Amino acid sequence: MTLTREAIVEHLKNIVGKERVITDEQVLKENSHDRYKKFETIFGVYTTPIPAAVVKLADTNQVSDVLKFLNENKINSVAKTGGTATEGGLETIVENSVVLDGSQMNQIIKIDETNMLATAQCGVNLGELEDRLREQGFTTGHSPQSKPLAHMGGLVATRSIGQFSTLYGAIEDMVIGLEAVFPNGEITRIKNVPRRSCGPDIRHVIIGNEGALCYITEVTVKIYKYFPENNEFLAWALDDMTTGFKILREVMVEGYRPSVARLYDAEDGTQHSFDQFAEDKCVLMFMAEGNEHLARATAQGIAQIVEKYDECRKIDSRLIENWFNHLNWGPEKIAEERELIRKNLHIGFTTEVSGNWDCINTIYENAIKRIREEYPHIEDLTMLGGHSSHSYQTGTNLYFVYDYDVKDCKPEEEINKYHIALNALIVEETLKAGGSMVHHHGIGKYRTPWTKQEHGSAYYILKGLKDQFDPNGIMNTGTIYPVE
Amino acid sequence: MKIAVCFKIIADYDRLSGKDWEWDECRFVDMSFVRRVFNCFDESALETVLKLSRQLENVSDTVELTALTVDDEQGDLFLKHLMAVGYDHAVRICCNNRLDLRFNPLVISHLISRYIKQEGQKLVVLGMQGGEGDNGQTGFLVAEQLGWPCIREVIDVVRAESPDCLKVFSRIDGAILKQTIKLPMVLIMGHSLNSPYLRVPTLRQKLNAKKKQLTIVSNIELGLDNDALLNKDKTLMDLYGQKPGKSCVFLEGKTAQEQAQRLYDQYLKERLS
Repeated sequence: MTLTREAIVEHLKNIVGKERVITDEQVLKENSHDRYKKFETIFGVYTTPIPAAVVKLADTNQVSDVLKFLNENKINSVAKTGGTATEGGLETIVENSVVLDGSQMNQIIKIDETNMLATAQCGVNLGELEDRLREQGFTTGHSPQSKPLAHMGGLVATRSIGQFSTLYGAIEDMVIGLEAVFPNGEITRIKNVPRRSCGPDIRHVIIGNEGALCYITEVTVKIYKYFPENNEFLAWALDDMTTGFKILREVMVEGYRPSVARLYDAEDGTQHSFDQFAEDKCVLMFMAEGNEHLARATAQGIAQIVEKYDECRKIDSRLIENWFNHLNWGPEKIAEERELIRKNLHIGFTTEVSGNWDCINTIYENAIKRIREEYPHIEDLTMLGGHSSHSYQTGTNLYFVYDYDVKDCKPEEEINKYHIALNALIVEETLKAGGSMVHHHGIGKYRTPWTKQEHGSAYYILKGLKDQFDPNGIMNTGTIYPVE
Repeated sequence: MKIAVCFKIIADYDRLSGKDWEWDECRFVDMSFVRRVFNCFDESALETVLKLSRQLENVSDTVELTALTVDDEQGDLFLKHLMAVGYDHAVRICCNNRLDLRFNPLVISHLISRYIKQEGQKLVVLGMQGGEGDNGQTGFLVAEQLGWPCIREVIDVVRAESPDCLKVFSRIDGAILKQTIKLPMVLIMGHSLNSPYLRVPTLRQKLNAKKKQLTIVSNIELGLDNDALLNKDKTLMDLYGQKPGKSCVFLEGKTAQEQAQRLYDQYLKERLS
């Protein structure tokens, strides 16, 4: 028998204590969405069903007890920590869902200098962990724009990536061990070892599961020595993205590992004020870091490659360093963005995809062309561009960026009229060219129409995980897996 | 109606750290590595006037908007942006780059007022102060030289019943003053809650603006030679950094609730009421 909203709340109070079960209406509304529906929520419109409760979890045992209860009663759960998700993964689309808030599980458990490991609970803010490590001369190497707000659990759950990924890798390259709880209440720990050959790497069942398979309670990541004094910024202006991709490839294939390797098209550059020093030009930038010898050799090697290209004009590296140092989004920037949206009815979104070197330029050109030619509200767009910000030996990512004036529609219609439509064109073009539809935000709830196409025959494996670990379908319904 | 908005482009001071504030022998701080932005009060002025022009056009008034700045070539990008969002004319008054105009609002006001007289504008709107010199005088001096009425701390301006007048909202002693004023006039924009940000041009508007021409006027063309631009009344003697005083109070209380109550009673209540 389905439990009523009131009964769910009552049971939850019995499990974790009444002070940990929040039912305040405003809190529930704010927990019914993430940054995906930022426009409508700024105007006080909440179209997603509001959850029955938000549970402030205290420890792993509580996670286990609560999940077991939800599983037995087939109640949908949405895992949450920092709440910075951008793809609808935190939306409570099922009536009477329960938000499992791990933000109070916020202890840094251990910094192990010998084995170069840091272990933190899911609710530890990455910025705080990073500050603590830097006091001791270390870094995680993970620095997404959301660093001031995001928590370790969410970062791992969404396979996040940071601005220094080209050197340090993405979160999946950093995670050594994990603790996670499955819907039946089973607590699992994956031990911290440098490498092993003991069957498939089961960390990857948990990393990136977006709360659709299990709840991450603890994370152990690698740490690195931190040498900010050796950072070297390099930047050039150039005519087109094609050359930029070519140079990025050469840098990667030659074996250089700058921490930052970015390529902006002219349009995207304007929103970062790059047009003030490179009007109508693309901008290619790098940061070399690490110990003195490595940083210097990396910077020199990259400069040698880029300077072979006559169209590249050197830019004062201080401009890039200053810009880069102000890239992160803290609460004040989010508040400012909300105010701007409210006053000017103007908003921006991104869609991040990836592709191998042989198709990335095709994805870039075709997606932009298709939007320009087919998108019916192109007149409302104020910006349409893109950049690459994470490169690999085999390819790179593309971050499409588009801003628009919201015209002639209700707040709740904005997302369909603009972002969903634009996102669809980009995803379709990416998949057509052989790329991946999501690079680092996670699938969330709005790219699920393409999950099967993305994985092709390998969807069998992905589906098998859901069938095995969440047979009752109570883990973040509608995320990663399309609602059948 | 011809309306001119005067604006200034400044370095984004939020992106300067304490260690960046080092000046050379001419007492200039190197900000060349920091992006430039519209001075915040001028940004409000620019947006407010765009909104006003739409109102005036709705009652079939012909409105001609001019954006005006005193700057070097770096100002051109901002002028193009303003053409894209709806300004009909974008004018840059250029002077000898080596002159220090930071603390010389008198010369700036002469340059502005001469251009205004020449072009027969009816309304001039400026921000109340620019971040660089923080002089807060240019608007008043422009009004003085034009012999026009001047309203300071303006927060909004809208169409009035009579086509010769405008309704002006300004702050005065904590209250908001609403006046209907006959043109011509100078308005000095303060903190506008209605229009804090300038709108963003669409892709098409940006493309169209690229085809438009900027107007570049020199100080000589406005009848002021280089000698007239020198700051003869004032000499910049020194610059020094102000050390912000910091203090800390620990709130006592047995529980968090007690501490929060004290915080509210002693520090927040008055501010929030």
